[in-house]
Amino acid sequence: MRALQIAATGMLAQQMRVETISNNLANMSTTGYNARRAEFSDLHYQQMTRPGSINASDGTVVPTGVQLGLGVRPAAVSIHLAQGSLSATGGDLDLAIDGSGFLEVTLPSGQSAYTRDGGLKMTGEGLIVTSDGYPVSPEIVVPADARSISINSDGEVFAYFAEATAGQQIGQFDLTGFTNAKGLEAIGSNLFAETEASGPPLTSTPGQDGLGTLRQGYLEDSSVDAVREITELIAAQRGYEMNSKVISAADQMMGATTQVR
Amino acid sequence: MDNTGYITLTRQMGLMREMQVVANNIANAATSGFRQEGLGFSEYVQDIKGGGSLSMGNGNVRQTSLVQGALSETGGTFDFAIEGDGFFLIETPEGERLTRAGSFTPNGEGDLVTFDGHRVLDAGGAPIFIPPNSGSIGVGPDGTISANGQFVGQVAIVQPNDTTNLIRENGVMFRADDGFEPAEMARVLQGFVEASNVDPISQLARMIEVQRAYEMGQSFLDSEDERVRRSMDAMMKSN
Repeated sequence: MRALQIAATGMLAQQMRVETISNNLANMSTTGYNARRAEFSDLHYQQMTRPGSINASDGTVVPTGVQLGLGVRPAAVSIHLAQGSLSATGGDLDLAIDGSGFLEVTLPSGQSAYTRDGGLKMTGEGLIVTSDGYPVSPEIVVPADARSISINSDGEVFAYFAEATAGQQIGQFDLTGFTNAKGLEAIGSNLFAETEASGPPLTSTPGQDGLGTLRQGYLEDSSVDAVREITELIAAQRGYEMNSKVISAADQMMGATTQVR
Repeated sequence: MDNTGYITLTRQMGLMREMQVVANNIANAATSGFRQEGLGFSEYVQDIKGGGSLSMGNGNVRQTSLVQGALSETGGTFDFAIEGDGFFLIETPEGERLTRAGSFTPNGEGDLVTFDGHRVLDAGGAPIFIPPNSGSIGVGPDGTISANGQFVGQVAIVQPNDTTNLIRENGVMFRADDGFEPAEMARVLQGFVEASNVDPISQLARMIEVQRAYEMGQSFLDSEDERVRRSMDAMMKSN
């Protein structure tokens, strides 16, 4: 009785869809978060009668045959990369990326990771780091006696000292792009790691190569659309229920079979 | 004497199969580009030596519904949906396959691929290369892809020569053994994905019908069993 297993694959798929939706909703206010979407694909087919095979009794060709599908499988959870809206925070070190690029950060292991979360902070030594304390690459150190800093759209960082009216350049933010940014591996804490699927990182100056520009004093909001997620949630829940109906129907058919003496 | 049992059995087997088809349709109600499947019954007539014939029901005819599925907006740059008849052409290790699931993405080398990593082909049968960091990507109704106003490639939209002879394969793909030709009446929409064309309501209704028909068959077998038993009892007594 394969209907039972088929409906079970359907229930598992819908469950995964609900899990993806709940993760999206949980990250509704996460800076720089992009919504994920579960995608499904059918499983392989059992060939009961091949289309085009010869009918044994009179030699005619079977036009359509019988193929029985065996259910559904999760194919991908893809990131829907979209520019989130920018909200003004006024923070000196709040950077929003207006475009498709990523900021590169160095993990304690020495590896590089990439993020769109531009809520940056400063350590006691003046090093610019992410909220988790990972330094942004290339490293930028703000001198202790700097009165204020400003970052322009091309990523150049200027510091203003004591009485001087003209700023002094102390560093430069880079942006990194990927051939297939959807292929990046999410490693938590708003960070992504390079994979075979994403292609190598292509680092460039903001404003060039289509990677976008930086905006100081803004943060990128989460791109989760609550209305869409709730609609999806309703569809997923109903889909789950329908599959469970199939299970109970298949069960009753089996019950009918066992009742025959 | 067992013929009644065997005839009912052919029908029960067909109904079991149909239940499986319904279960598969409902399981794939959220699979983009999936085409609903139906099972039809045909009569299978067996000649009986010495006169008469036996007619059995055989669940053996498959139909694939090619009705347009609902288009759901995703806003994805490489999410394409086909409006009208036609399929995308993709390259797999086993040969060229057709699909309606248009959720594509460039891979690490820049070639446009499906979520299983199969390359999407253009009308000439070549992969489509998307230059890295190409900025805004636009897609015309005929499948022409342009990056910053520059022509990049054109996704092929094909129509199988015989739509009844489509073999389903894992990954929402179809194999067209009779070949295919460019589709004339199809339009490509960017930022949309075609949802599964399964109609869950009618599938649930069909599921209930199948279940009841199956139970009817079983109670028929039941009463047939009872009848045989009683006639045997009667024969025993008459002896």
